[in-house]
Amino acid sequence: MLRFLDFSPRFRSFCNWLIVVGSILLCLMILPTRLPGTELLGIRPNWLLIWVVVWSVKRNAYQGAIAGIALGLIQDGLTAFDGVPMVDGIMPPNFEGSEGSTTDLLLSYPSHVITLMLVGILTAKIQKQRYIQEDFISIALIVFGMAVVAETITAIQYSIQGLRNITLVWTEHQRIALSSAILSSLWAPVLYYPLNRWWEYMSDRDQSL
Amino acid sequence: MFTVRRWWDRYGPRFFVTGLVLAAALFLRQTQGAFVSELYYRMVQSFQPGPTPQERWADARVSELETKLVNIEQQNQKLQELLDYTETYQGELIAAPVIGRSVDHWWKQVTLGRGSTSGIKTGYVVSSPGGLVGRVIKVTPNTSRVLLASDPTSKVGGKIARNNFMGYIRGEGSDTAVMEFFDKVPDVKPGDKIVTSPVSYLFPAGIPIGTVETVDLEKSPAPEVVVKFTAPFDYLEWVVVHPFESRL
Repeated sequence: MLRFLDFSPRFRSFCNWLIVVGSILLCLMILPTRLPGTELLGIRPNWLLIWVVVWSVKRNAYQGAIAGIALGLIQDGLTAFDGVPMVDGIMPPNFEGSEGSTTDLLLSYPSHVITLMLVGILTAKIQKQRYIQEDFISIALIVFGMAVVAETITAIQYSIQGLRNITLVWTEHQRIALSSAILSSLWAPVLYYPLNRWWEYMSDRDQSL
Repeated sequence: MFTVRRWWDRYGPRFFVTGLVLAAALFLRQTQGAFVSELYYRMVQSFQPGPTPQERWADARVSELETKLVNIEQQNQKLQELLDYTETYQGELIAAPVIGRSVDHWWKQVTLGRGSTSGIKTGYVVSSPGGLVGRVIKVTPNTSRVLLASDPTSKVGGKIARNNFMGYIRGEGSDTAVMEFFDKVPDVKPGDKIVTSPVSYLFPAGIPIGTVETVDLEKSPAPEVVVKFTAPFDYLEWVVVHPFESRL
């Protein structure tokens, strides 16, 4: 099996796809669970963000962006409520309020696509060779920074669309950004180490042939 | 022609792969991750919790009964007047385990381990011992996603159980919510029980929601009241789904 892996580029590339898709699926499976040790103040690590960072760290901005867009779309799908009337239409007999009976939130809802795409591009653009060593600590640091960036972008999207109370959004942002950044950066090596080993092996093989 | 050919030779595979990846992602987006939810259901099936943890909910249960009692007393008094008072629960209830939480911190959702094969439809109302939990927003064959009443996009029409002052309850992402009243000076005090209002489109009337914590009648433009949910959102393990067609 390993021999075969060594000498067949086609099989290797097939395995690469398997590992990429498998690791994304794994992240998607962990996302809704509450594994012990992954929770801080009710906040859990942002596994998809970790994945995007791990992917983009040694790739160019284009690849980072595509990964971000793809995972963003998936996460949007997992949080969306398409075509569901959202705001309870309450019609008191003589209340002339501005509350509409139903509001279609589909378009005005914050999207993960923007967030994760920017994370992918930024991570790829960081000049790691020059500023940061390639190791666990630097990955943890990048994930920490990116988690804060991501939550901030979400908070900005919320503030712009005005669906939520803005002060509430920003108090929530502080809580979410900090916990999520700490947890994500602590858990990042779990994903980074195996994937990085595999991709290093891949590039070694591809170069030696 | 030659340049197109050369471009294709150089970028073709990459172009193709990108297209494929984006198409797959878009497919998951459009189906709202039904495939992922189903896969997740298969994964966690082996880790399912056993029978309901009754003890942990004893307190919540008592609180729910109290709320219901207050509501029923009031309902009895005014039954003749409230001709449009609808049936609280219609149809058969479906019990469902909570198998997952929302996949983003800004969203307050849970995933249930029952879906359309058990008869759940979008718009059905979910409650737990304690009171209202939320509303089903997406159903796959074996799972359904519920928007919790504590989500900031959720607005639930509510009323004070002991009288008829109405308003709506807006989630705040935590276990308390803000209730805004339509009346300028509602008769409300801390400790009052809040139930879903009979004029709500999306929820059946009379499901307990929470208890009033603090009251701020000076708040402009409408008086504002902080309500603590009686349903224990953090410990939800089993919930009950009520068949309900929204009255829109």
